[in-house]
Amino acid sequence: MHHFDDIYPFSAIVGQEQMKMALLLNAINPKIGGVLIKGEKGTAKSTAARALAHLLPNRDVVDGCIFGCDPDDTKSQCLDCQKKTDLKRKATRMRVVELPISATEDKVVGSLDIEHALKKGEKKFEPGILAQANRNILYVDEVNLLNDHIVDVLLDAAAMGMNFIEREGVSYVHPSSFILIGTMNPEEGELRPQLLDRFGLCVDIEGIMDADTRVEVIKRRQAYEEYPDNFLPLWTGEDQKLRERIIRAHELLPSIIISDHMLHMIAQICIDMGVDGHRADITMMKTSSTIAAYYGRAEVSEKDVREAATLVLSHRMRRRPFSEQQMDSRKLDQSIHNMQQPHSHQHTHSH
Amino acid sequence: MPHFEEIYPFSAIVGQEKMKKALLLNAINPNIGGVLIKGEKGTAKSTAARALASLLPEGKVVEGCIFGCDPSDQNNLCFECQKKAGNFSTLMVPMKVIELPISATEDKVVGSLDIEHALKYGERIFEPGVLAKANRNILYVDEVNLLNDHIVDVLLDAAAMGVNIIEREGVSYEHPASFILIGTMNPEEGELRPQLLDRFGLCVDIEGIHDADTRVEVVKRRREYDLDSHGFCNRWSIKEQEIRAHIISTRSLLPSVTISDEMIYMIAQICLDMAGDGHRADIIMLKTAKTIAAFNNRTEVNEDDIREAAELVLSHRVRSQPLSDQQMDKDKIDESIEKSQKERQQPEEKEEDTKQNQKSQENTIPDGSTTTQFAEGSPFKVNQKSITQPRRIDSFKREESGRRSVTESRDGKYVRSRIPNQLTADIALDATIRAAAPYQISRRGKLAVSIEASDIREKVRERKMGNTILFVVDASGSMGAQQRMTAVKGAILSLLIDAYQKRDRVGLVVFRGSGAEVLLPPTTSVELARKYMQMLPVGGKTPLASGLSKGLEVLQREMMINNHTIPRLILISDGKANVGLGSDAPLQDAIEIAAKIKDSMISSVVIDTEQGFILFGLAHKISDEMGAKYLKLEELQADSIVDAVKRIGVI
Repeated sequence: MHHFDDIYPFSAIVGQEQMKMALLLNAINPKIGGVLIKGEKGTAKSTAARALAHLLPNRDVVDGCIFGCDPDDTKSQCLDCQKKTDLKRKATRMRVVELPISATEDKVVGSLDIEHALKKGEKKFEPGILAQANRNILYVDEVNLLNDHIVDVLLDAAAMGMNFIEREGVSYVHPSSFILIGTMNPEEGELRPQLLDRFGLCVDIEGIMDADTRVEVIKRRQAYEEYPDNFLPLWTGEDQKLRERIIRAHELLPSIIISDHMLHMIAQICIDMGVDGHRADITMMKTSSTIAAYYGRAEVSEKDVREAATLVLSHRMRRRPFSEQQMDSRKLDQSIHNMQQPHSHQHTHSH
Repeated sequence: MPHFEEIYPFSAIVGQEKMKKALLLNAINPNIGGVLIKGEKGTAKSTAARALASLLPEGKVVEGCIFGCDPSDQNNLCFECQKKAGNFSTLMVPMKVIELPISATEDKVVGSLDIEHALKYGERIFEPGVLAKANRNILYVDEVNLLNDHIVDVLLDAAAMGVNIIEREGVSYEHPASFILIGTMNPEEGELRPQLLDRFGLCVDIEGIHDADTRVEVVKRRREYDLDSHGFCNRWSIKEQEIRAHIISTRSLLPSVTISDEMIYMIAQICLDMAGDGHRADIIMLKTAKTIAAFNNRTEVNEDDIREAAELVLSHRVRSQPLSDQQMDKDKIDESIEKSQKERQQPEEKEEDTKQNQKSQENTIPDGSTTTQFAEGSPFKVNQKSITQPRRIDSFKREESGRRSVTESRDGKYVRSRIPNQLTADIALDATIRAAAPYQISRRGKLAVSIEASDIREKVRERKMGNTILFVVDASGSMGAQQRMTAVKGAILSLLIDAYQKRDRVGLVVFRGSGAEVLLPPTTSVELARKYMQMLPVGGKTPLASGLSKGLEVLQREMMINNHTIPRLILISDGKANVGLGSDAPLQDAIEIAAKIKDSMISSVVIDTEQGFILFGLAHKISDEMGAKYLKLEELQADSIVDAVKRIGVI
């Protein structure tokens, strides 16, 4: 048995660079809107989510608040915290809240607190998973197998950053803003396109084909399980470096410059790729800025946009019969190339 | 309602002028009756609806009244206000946007017994629900097409009468509930019931902006908002103030707007031509046109106002075949306008309607190996007897058209409660406590609440139940011959229309070349199914076994997730399998899978597309193995069943 601190270190995960990147970007900028990880079982998906939570720096929460409100941001606080004047703060680690497939709607959104009602004869709201998830990571394994109506309420809350309840004798509203990490095995069924769109990023887990790398996976896993006391300290340094990098990037984020040229490139890519609506554009803007911050740069470059495009577009492409829902990297190159020709497009922008 | 973050300002939404206009017209004139915003994902639908809240004008209310009664409207006062008989003070408050979450249960929508009061005083008093709060305000339903059928019924009842009548849990109550309904939906998620659709005064269809510069502007504003939402909202506050002022001035201008008989005639003509029965469209168009005139600072309605109003009012009311892209023809409006003008000039003459309904069908000729896309054959009414299979599904009854049947089960959505017939494990505790509450003063137990057997209520859960119809379509080269694919597409389209009317779930599996693919996992969006079907390419070999096995897999998973669905598989093929599942006997492979489908209790229909002088009857063989109902493509058509009967008679 491992105790709480014995979580497999993030930096010890072998390969899966794209998944790790997508998770880190969400950690730096939660407004990216979560990540959907596609891949088979047993590919370190949930390990990575847990490792990420462990990696993140502690943050202050209001002591005793079930929603873990931010003591410094009054607007985002729950109704109770907003009323109180003297908030006690406590530094706490981010948690991974899991939403099991068998979860019922009342457990997800919350319901009437029966015990309280019976004992005290008063109505009280019993918070559900969406309450616990506030300011944490919400991890949904096999999101494609979840009941439709559960997925609907989940994504509704994710989109609005709040949970709004009118059911089972209680009316309540509370903040519910979380990093959504969903996993699915596409072989077990697809997710509705409108739900796919709600995930900021999407990555495909690569199967590791290289024998040496596979051996490394096994070795590390074995070392972790059998000799955690020897294994874990090996990675604290790496994890600490990554933690500092996240903090730096987070601080840098508001000052990242994104030029009109880059914004046009983003818009053009989205038009060329034929995605619906504007969520892809907005997410690509956020993601490329976060990538620039991650690399410690002050301005978004073409490379950042390209990297962001892969993460943002793969699940938003309109599927055509007998073609994989895949990003056409040649098409992406073409889009970017067209934008580089100074005369073929008008870059200046009027306000 | 708190939102925990600054709401994105209405005026900062880029483009989508029609949507913004429709919302503003409702804010100016609540009698227009709300708006439905339909559009693809990520097009600021919900953002706009929520942002409208801060622009709404003030209205006079009775102070302290939960229903926000209008003191000047004596006929629609609630009981409390009636009792006060004018002895109340009034207050100016802005209209509000009341949100109805899709997870809402009935008790919170209509209101119920006040538990706390009942426990403390042993009295039954009414605790208002969402409908009470919505009175004289805007009721906003995000993803309105996902709302539970039962809740929709309740909404429709209240909307129709403007009153919410409660008879439950020993509470009798009645209060005014007249509200403006605003709904947003993504049509790809499923359709809206026609009765509910008609409740929305206006409807706008929106899509993403395709112009690069404008898209950049969308992203830029979003970025500014994300970086500093407070500052962003401040910067837009002047614009917001301007709009608010315009709403107020338009409101005061509205009563003096006049409309000539000629214009009223025009409205009537347009509605007659396009919307058909009922007068709702006429009346709403009149109100909308007047509001548009006032919006443009005029006191006389002109033709342009009517044109604009017609688009907003008619788009969801146009009589149309289901699925025939419910879209309004602007030319048709022009035609109507012209007609009304002519008729005014020569009222004696009546024009004959000479519409050409014949559409020429042009089809490409298939050329063997290359893939081609075929046009859809025109849809026909599906002969009900032909696809209904009596075996295994006769326990399942439902109405011919309209609502899906709903089954009650433990794993559905909790919508309301009832007194159980027998012992129940699915206790609705909230309702049980409500039932027990009034007796607490006399019971006095150890706990604060003492519950007796007669108090027990059980949950009524709903989940949508209906057929899941999976089309397994052969798209191999042989289907390209002699326009077969055109006919097949026509057939599928007809079946889709049938599914739409019955609100079934539909899915699409296609096989050709080396394998099969799930083109569309089962969904309630028939529109989406149609889109995919249109893009269907034809060509290559016939991996029938893969197609069937993929179909089986999809339906088995569907049964696992939703064990109340009735799975049905419709195979459309000529049965000429020539690619197997690894063996050299492609037909044998297909037959084996067909037997498995039979064993899995999946009811099936085989539509044979084989044609020509020499018939192999392979599809028939598959059909027998599958225990399917066998049909020739031609027999599917309702009127041609007569021919089929005749043919049988002759032979």
